[in-house]
Amino acid sequence: MAKYITKRVIYMVITLFIIISATFFLMKMMPGSPFNNIGGKLTVEQEAFLMEQYGLDEPVPVQYVKYITGIFRGDLGVSFQYDNRPVTDIILDRIGPSAHLGAQALIIGSILGIILGMFAAIRHNTWVDYTSNILAVIGISIPSFVFAGLLQYYLAVKWRLFPVSFWESPIYSVLPTIALMIFPMAICARFMRTEMLEVLGSDYIELARAKGVSNRIVMFKHALRNALIPVITVLGPMTVSLMTGTLVIEQIFAIPGIGEQFVISISTNDYPVIMGTTILFAILFVLVILIVDLLYGLIDPRIRIAGGKD
Amino acid sequence: MDSILDVNNLHVTFDTYGGSVQAVRGVNFSLNKGETLAIVGESGSGKSVTTKALMGLVAKPAGKIPKGEILFEGKDLTKLSNKQMQKIRGKDISMIFQDPMTSLNPTMKVGKQIMEGLILHQNQSKQEAKKRALELLQLVGIPDPEKRINQYPHQFSGGMRQRVVIAIALACNPKVLIADEPTTALDVTIQAQIIELMKNIQKKMETSIIFITHDLGVVANVADRVAVMYAGKIVEIGTVDDVFYNPKHPYTWGLLGSMPTVDSQEEKLIAIPGTPPDLIHPPKGDAFAARNEFALAIDFEEEPPMFQVSDSHYAATWLLHEDAPHIEPPEAVKRRMKGFSTEGDNKNE
Repeated sequence: MAKYITKRVIYMVITLFIIISATFFLMKMMPGSPFNNIGGKLTVEQEAFLMEQYGLDEPVPVQYVKYITGIFRGDLGVSFQYDNRPVTDIILDRIGPSAHLGAQALIIGSILGIILGMFAAIRHNTWVDYTSNILAVIGISIPSFVFAGLLQYYLAVKWRLFPVSFWESPIYSVLPTIALMIFPMAICARFMRTEMLEVLGSDYIELARAKGVSNRIVMFKHALRNALIPVITVLGPMTVSLMTGTLVIEQIFAIPGIGEQFVISISTNDYPVIMGTTILFAILFVLVILIVDLLYGLIDPRIRIAGGKD
Repeated sequence: MDSILDVNNLHVTFDTYGGSVQAVRGVNFSLNKGETLAIVGESGSGKSVTTKALMGLVAKPAGKIPKGEILFEGKDLTKLSNKQMQKIRGKDISMIFQDPMTSLNPTMKVGKQIMEGLILHQNQSKQEAKKRALELLQLVGIPDPEKRINQYPHQFSGGMRQRVVIAIALACNPKVLIADEPTTALDVTIQAQIIELMKNIQKKMETSIIFITHDLGVVANVADRVAVMYAGKIVEIGTVDDVFYNPKHPYTWGLLGSMPTVDSQEEKLIAIPGTPPDLIHPPKGDAFAARNEFALAIDFEEEPPMFQVSDSHYAATWLLHEDAPHIEPPEAVKRRMKGFSTEGDNKNE
């Protein structure tokens, strides 16, 4: 197992390196420079001075090497926009709300989805099933920002149950979490229902029943675990879609998170912040995939990895 | 002989979009203590559904038992609630399934799957159940049980898995064991092993076995009595000798004729013409009449009752009526019957 994880971590580092390199060169191809947004008030000399100051006058490959060596020292550079604040500072400052929101939406969304899908399968072809199906279809087909708007209008503006925007106390997280979790919930519900129906029709469930096992134990001990296996696989890509979802949701609810920062930085060509945020997203992504793979092995003994020669 | 299970006029129907399928239409039989009763018949004849009904596992809400009773130790199983049935399933009546590749839970250790029933029905502690599970694995011929008990089904071959399924079924010393085509999914050499195993176990544990199969060779090997099912009914029932050497129902003739024997190389196998009837609208009269070359006019009008041939042998065909013309089974079937008796003689030598 340790050997497997080491191998995976090495692969992760390689993946990250490729992502960083690709982003770096792509970013350099973006039109404009970080300093021409300031309204054309800079003279040519001033701009040249700034370019030199931040090392942007050097050839791109040199900048690249410098950047990479910086990363190994834990130095992600300084922002061009926020008075030379280190990028790590900016990220640390803003990661809290994003992580909170994302984790909350992912956990609540997938658990609710799994429960919903499970009950839909157990009560197959009844109103429970139909309701869950309708919810799932709505959740998959309507984008999160539409929900965000509806939630803000009804729950915040009209009925005044929750704050419209900002990020001050846990109650501020309710609406953005709901808006964000609808999609993962719908996907989980759909998957879970299909899988559960298939598992419930399988021979080993009938054998469990033939053993005299009660209905509840059949569901939770025998069926749930087997039905979860394919659902776990969608968790990875779902987390990614959640990350991109936060970009929009944070904008709508004016949450000072990393997604909002990312959008601003791209529009101002703030290279170090773009790079830093990309690296963060990339690390999260490969970590999620690793975790999903490990979970997969935990749940399904058939794909339990390495050391399996006993 | 004491019977342990009596099935009287059992009906099972399934509601579908096309209508109600009458899968089992009045089945009667009794199972004696310690005997093996084979139920044979082609696919869709209602063999499996009958046994599902015995287990209380007819899929609800589509499946229903509108009529009939299943008497087990004086209790009518069709009247019991699901809770009450749970106490009987796996303890008094248990079942071996057809396909060992899919009938074990892939995410649960084999030992745990065997122990589950023991803990549930016999209130055994984990240690006791584990000890018993090891004994069971030994009994069904799985080598190295201490190691195997902690493995998952995917680490077993098909034959070994079927042994595990048998161990699960035997865990609580059931009084009735239902084997639903236990060898169909296995290759021939393994089939023979599993059948030997079941015969040995029956000798040791004196369980009554209902053995469902469409392999007549297996029947001749394991069964004491045979019931032939067609279109949801038992059309002929008797001892193995009765049914194999003195078959009375034309459908049984057809089954025997369609079975290859050792010396039948040069002969063409005889197929039963036509297809089984639609059980949403079962035909009037004898369900087999349309495929029966010996059908009489009355076969298309009225269902034949069970005629008694001997103490142990019954068949539902109008050919046994005293007014019916005397009809001999076709030559090919007669040769088969002879084949069986010579095979049987060889075995006895």
